[in-house]
Amino acid sequence: MIRIADLRHRLLDIPGLAVDARHIAVIGPNGSGKTTLLSVCSGIEEPDAGTVRLLDRPPSAVKVGWVGEFPDRTLLFSLVYDEIASTPRFRHRPCPETDATARAAAEEVGIRHLLGKETSSLSGGEKALVALAAACAGDPEVLVLDEADSHLDAVTAERVSRVVRESTAAHVLWCTQSMDAAAAADYVLFMEKGRVRHHGTPAEVFSALEETCFYPTMWRVCR
Amino acid sequence: MDLVFSRDSFTLRGSGIFGEGVHLVSGPVGSGKSTLALLLAGLLRPESGTVRRHGVLSADLLLQFPEHHITCPTVAGEAASWGLVPEDALALAELSGRADDDPFHLSRGELKRLTLACTLLKNPDLLLLDEPFSSLDCTTKRKACGMLEERDAGITIVFSHERAVLPRVDAIWEMEGGVLAARGSVPDAIPSWRHAPPYLRYALEQGARPVNIRLSDAREALCRIRG
Repeated sequence: MIRIADLRHRLLDIPGLAVDARHIAVIGPNGSGKTTLLSVCSGIEEPDAGTVRLLDRPPSAVKVGWVGEFPDRTLLFSLVYDEIASTPRFRHRPCPETDATARAAAEEVGIRHLLGKETSSLSGGEKALVALAAACAGDPEVLVLDEADSHLDAVTAERVSRVVRESTAAHVLWCTQSMDAAAAADYVLFMEKGRVRHHGTPAEVFSALEETCFYPTMWRVCR
Repeated sequence: MDLVFSRDSFTLRGSGIFGEGVHLVSGPVGSGKSTLALLLAGLLRPESGTVRRHGVLSADLLLQFPEHHITCPTVAGEAASWGLVPEDALALAELSGRADDDPFHLSRGELKRLTLACTLLKNPDLLLLDEPFSSLDCTTKRKACGMLEERDAGITIVFSHERAVLPRVDAIWEMEGGVLAARGSVPDAIPSWRHAPPYLRYALEQGARPVNIRLSDAREALCRIRG
């Protein structure tokens, strides 16, 4: 369960919201507060006012995996192995466990062959997969993806979707500009000017957006 | 154009003629779209082969990341650095109130709109756009497409993996594994377009024959066969 109460932070203004779904898509125009909401929900930023609770705990007490829009800007280490291993290392896990966790995460994302490579030699899509593996290492309770699919082609985006579907995370908060991807979520939040303008199942939210370009293209041609 | 370019283990090969009109070069991430854009812009030199330009007196490349274009501390200064009257560029980009702001204080979408407006106002004979739609919301993508479609002369080449909001185009090309393949002119090229967006593929599977590649073209074609 994700609970938000009286949240005010920068442009965000969310009086109350409780979501008990696993895969939550966050959509809306550029500048509507999607990234800010994800930052507050993952504990990267403390809200100016109000509270956010994930699994009945404050975000700082929850294991959160984060994948940003530009993996280039979040990769810290020069070797792929070190990047993925940084998650358990920052949690001070013992060396054998760190090694096993990093290798399992690389296996899960299908990038074991990249472990020995330098991050600077990777393509954009491969960098996104490394960022995803680092986020998935050590089984996060909540997985947060900020437009991680904006710079991915269809094949790589599908691989990211599969990993997210199969992860053990209780919640996945996924901000996307692909309405066809959002249509596959369990729950959708449509944000506008810092507020949650519509929320509910994809059918509920998109029926309110049918007159706009935020309606999924496949629904538009199939229905 | 007929060229070969390689770096490390990656080799790009392509030959073809880009005539007047709007060309879409699609293909997966890492297939060489950006490298081809740099080669066509003359910012990279091919190892062998040449890019020959006929009747092209001016060329501009819009980079994928708009922040890489910034050279001035204000939005108005940035427009002026393109050799434009700032008021015109800001009006087209719908940023008239932001003239004195730092360009880095604009959102990504706003910055992309600014650089796109500047290149379109410069109206070069050859306009190269590298992923002009990535990280824009659908409203801004639509506006960008409208601006491109209004350009009535010159050669426009759009490099993109966009799969929802596309402009009306005259020809389709595909990059895969560093090789450029010409699919031909639209609409005849549409059935052989391997990276066609899902809505277009669906329309084709239903037996519809869209006249162009936009969502509205797919819907109109479906309406025609469904009656």
